[in-house]
Amino acid sequence: MQSFFEWLESWPLSVGLRESSWMFPAFESVHVIAIALVVGSIMIVDLRVLGLASRSERVTELSQTVLPWTWGAFAVALISGFCMFASKAHAYFGNTSFQIKMLLMAAAFVNMLAFHFIPYRSVSSWDEGASAPPLARLACGVSLTLWVFIVVMGRWIGFSIEG
Amino acid sequence: MLHSFASWLSQTPASQIIQNVLWIIPLVQTLHILAIAVVLSSVAMIDLRIFGLAGRRATMMQTADRYVPWLWWGLLVLALTGATLITGEPVRSLTNPAFQIKMLLLLGAMAVTISFQRSVRKNAVVWDTRVRSSASIRVAAVGTLLVWFAIAVAGRWIAYMVLEY
Repeated sequence: MQSFFEWLESWPLSVGLRESSWMFPAFESVHVIAIALVVGSIMIVDLRVLGLASRSERVTELSQTVLPWTWGAFAVALISGFCMFASKAHAYFGNTSFQIKMLLMAAAFVNMLAFHFIPYRSVSSWDEGASAPPLARLACGVSLTLWVFIVVMGRWIGFSIEG
Repeated sequence: MLHSFASWLSQTPASQIIQNVLWIIPLVQTLHILAIAVVLSSVAMIDLRIFGLAGRRATMMQTADRYVPWLWWGLLVLALTGATLITGEPVRSLTNPAFQIKMLLLLGAMAVTISFQRSVRKNAVVWDTRVRSSASIRVAAVGTLLVWFAIAVAGRWIAYMVLEY
């Protein structure tokens, strides 16, 4: 693991991110915009299932048109985030906020799978109107909460990272 | 003048509290980022509707009614949290070229939003028939989204632009 981190930190891109005056803020900017689109688009779908917004739209249609963009933005966030991680792999890996953020993302992933394979299977019966079953609402409430705290932890990394 | 105002502001009790309580700035920045998520995603959803890629069942008026209020509420949260961040670091922010560019871009983006809102209210039918497929509207839609992105980039740059006096 240590040698893997050292290898990551020796990448020309990692050296550039540590030494250049503009590269790190440029990657952070891309990361923030991508996360904004990920979190905002997930909120749109979650609020729809909770019956709090977009009630005139079908859950299936909204998720099928919005979520591919969520995944696209997530890929951008993941790549830009990984590059920043690589530039100081040891420091990030040992950072508590970073560790919590990764755990919360794993939880969001499990929650998404649970939503998809349990309540979403019966979506045809609650596709229209504000009548999603309790399990679907629970998963979307959990999703909203997790993503807010993922942003909180992400911002905290910047204030607690060493080196 | 701006510099002396910023220096005065940094001496006020409100500014001192923000400077000295360690968790205020990251917390307020987090709220700022969540509001950015609301604004950027609202603009992106309107763009997707203009391109016919999402919300096709809704009219342009319904799309505007769904997302433009969120955009304005998001901007209100951004203004309040942004003002808090400025109060905490007035000299570094107010006199910073990145901040000044950000405010100019923001004025432009707000003007576009207001004119979009007015136009949809006034010409609802036209927006759902001809305007949606118009090339100039599509260019304007993408251009506006890019301006919002640029506002976020300029915002991030405030922290990195080193000023010397």
